[in-house]
Amino acid sequence: MAKVLTMADTKREQRRAYWSLVLPGFLLYIAVMAFPTIFSVVLSLTSYNGGKLFGGRPVEMVGLKWYKRLFADEYFYRALKNNLWIVLVSVLGQIPLGFFLAYVLYRGLVRARDFFQTMIYLPTVISTVVIGILWKSFFAPHGAFPELMRIFRPGYEYTMGSHPMIPVLFVILWMYSGMYMIIFMANLQKIDNAVIEAARIDGASEMQVLRHVILPALSGVIVVTAILAISGSLKSFDLIYVMTGGGPANRTSVLSIYMFDKAFKGAPNYPLANAISTVMVIISFALIGLTKFAENKFGGRE
Amino acid sequence: MTGLKRVTVVLLALVVIGSSLFAQGVKEEAKGQVTLNVLNYIDMSEPNSANEVRLVWEKFEKENPDIKIVREDLFNEPFHYKTEAYIASGQLPDVLYMWPSGRSTSLHTTGSVKDLMPLLERDGLVDDYNPAALAPQFSGFLGELPNGITTTHMLFVNKKVLRDNGLKLSTDYNDMKKMVSTLKAKGIELIAMDNMDDWVMQSCLFSMVVGRYGGTDWYDRLAAGKIKFTDDWFVKSLELIDDMYKSGMINRNTLSSPYGASRSSFATGKAAFLIDGDWATGSFMTDITTGDALINAKAQADDFELMVITNLPGEVVANSNSGVVGTGWGMSANIPAGSAKEEAAWRLIKYLQGEYVQTYRLTTGASFPSNLKVDVAKVAAEQNLEPFITKRAEYYNKYVPITPVIDGVLHSDVYNVINSGLQEIGLGSKAPRTVAAEVQRAWENFLKNN
Repeated sequence: MAKVLTMADTKREQRRAYWSLVLPGFLLYIAVMAFPTIFSVVLSLTSYNGGKLFGGRPVEMVGLKWYKRLFADEYFYRALKNNLWIVLVSVLGQIPLGFFLAYVLYRGLVRARDFFQTMIYLPTVISTVVIGILWKSFFAPHGAFPELMRIFRPGYEYTMGSHPMIPVLFVILWMYSGMYMIIFMANLQKIDNAVIEAARIDGASEMQVLRHVILPALSGVIVVTAILAISGSLKSFDLIYVMTGGGPANRTSVLSIYMFDKAFKGAPNYPLANAISTVMVIISFALIGLTKFAENKFGGRE
Repeated sequence: MTGLKRVTVVLLALVVIGSSLFAQGVKEEAKGQVTLNVLNYIDMSEPNSANEVRLVWEKFEKENPDIKIVREDLFNEPFHYKTEAYIASGQLPDVLYMWPSGRSTSLHTTGSVKDLMPLLERDGLVDDYNPAALAPQFSGFLGELPNGITTTHMLFVNKKVLRDNGLKLSTDYNDMKKMVSTLKAKGIELIAMDNMDDWVMQSCLFSMVVGRYGGTDWYDRLAAGKIKFTDDWFVKSLELIDDMYKSGMINRNTLSSPYGASRSSFATGKAAFLIDGDWATGSFMTDITTGDALINAKAQADDFELMVITNLPGEVVANSNSGVVGTGWGMSANIPAGSAKEEAAWRLIKYLQGEYVQTYRLTTGASFPSNLKVDVAKVAAEQNLEPFITKRAEYYNKYVPITPVIDGVLHSDVYNVINSGLQEIGLGSKAPRTVAAEVQRAWENFLKNN
């Protein structure tokens, strides 16, 4: 006789199905995300400095020693400041520029739309290392930039001066605006053209269409791009590493390069590098919290 | 296909792959071939670099069929970062290129490499090498068998640029300073240098300057607590670098020039002098396969000289240069003593620092031999070597005494502060006295913590 399924059986079955679906992902998350993060925090409180963890040189707990050293280092603040500059250029530069370009192309305000779309998006698909080398050569003392400047100002000499981050920020703006342009273009195409046409027939100007029709429809996308821009900015490493290596005198360093240098330049200091990574995680959480707050307050009106 | 069949097919496939891999392993074991993982340091953009693969590495494998080399080629910062990652993971390559101190400090301090002296003594090879090259290194023993002795300051002079601009050849500091205005007016730099990487200024110029003001034994006196970084010898050294930037002898734009970038502009007459290390000589010489050279043999003889800056104002030692035991080859401490792998690794190191390879490196300008079996004069005469080789031999004899290189004697906790400080001076953002105070603080912290 077939067994009659009770409510308890169904719940047990559901629980089994739930765990069989969730457990692999959960274990993977623990292994590659949670454990390394927690382990990194633990290492930042120890004297461990390479070699075997067990059976090697004894590892001692040293408390907040490395955090104190970190917060006393002027180069930490310089790296943090540069990170914040990148966040600023990403959020207030790349996103508005990406939106502007997408809008111009979407509304057909220029000819050869496909050509411009390809050209603007191109930097995103080229290897970052290639782009870094290209711009490094461009801004080198005997590179194209000083030569071009000498056409307008004979005797011009390019030096890192007091704003060595400017070339880096310019390249970041140039490189990633195309990605935001594509995101905005994809979402602009979802807007019903009839709404825009109706607004135009009712006498709305281009600016009024933008202000009252298009921007409200894209508010959710703008928040998402802001999250992408912030998280991308904190991860900045490859382009700057290739272009300047963080120099001169750490003027173009960011937290990831600062951490990398502490871990691998000269005699390594792994606990200090782990302390930097912990601070980076805390900053990431704070900024994600901020964007979530912004999303709740301004997002989701479309 | 049923589920059972699918499982059977997958299992069978795994068994076949697994057994073929196992068979491969057995086959190699049966042949008695030893595999050596090697971390090599090579700049593939330099002339003759590609030939090294054929003339050095492939030759060794041909002569030693029982050894298989798995080589990894890296250069400059990526090399050092990878080495640190290997040390951290405890998975060091069997044989690796390394420094006697400085950037290889952690290889020495973590006991990652073996002392090679017992092997040298066992094979009766101690007398084959320059005694200075076999001095104990940062680890306190012979962690690597060096290529030779390296001097880190070399002033390359383009005499043609000086002649064409009506200037007389002089490496006197004040004379050089006077040349700036004449050359600047014609858009020519006095000194080409690549200061984007922070080690360059410290290694290729500042170490020599510190020796001139601090004396040959400055490090010993510092370590004994007899002098400080805030004393005149060090402050004056920093002030000289400051003066070189302020007077335009070194352009501040060199801070955005990546290492090696200005060699071609120097060779083509965009600068009258180039400051680099003695190892840079090789980059100007003829590529034996293409016949191309940044500076051809005739120009090397007629238009260029290898010298040092002389007569620094107020120097206490004249004519000195900064030098350190050269780079070389070390062996991982993970290799069991007395094993077949140790024998294979040692055979490779002996070959790499033996007469054949050191002669080859001499002919390409890569290094000057530590192996006394290499007769430089004889090789130069027999192989009609380019003028830079003979000029380099004269340069070594001419500029003595040799004083310590900063990153060869100080810990990175201290020399990194010096490196950054020199760049700050280059940017004009810190005064020499401020940098000196920061270095002293770093030194005191280092002493306290170690």
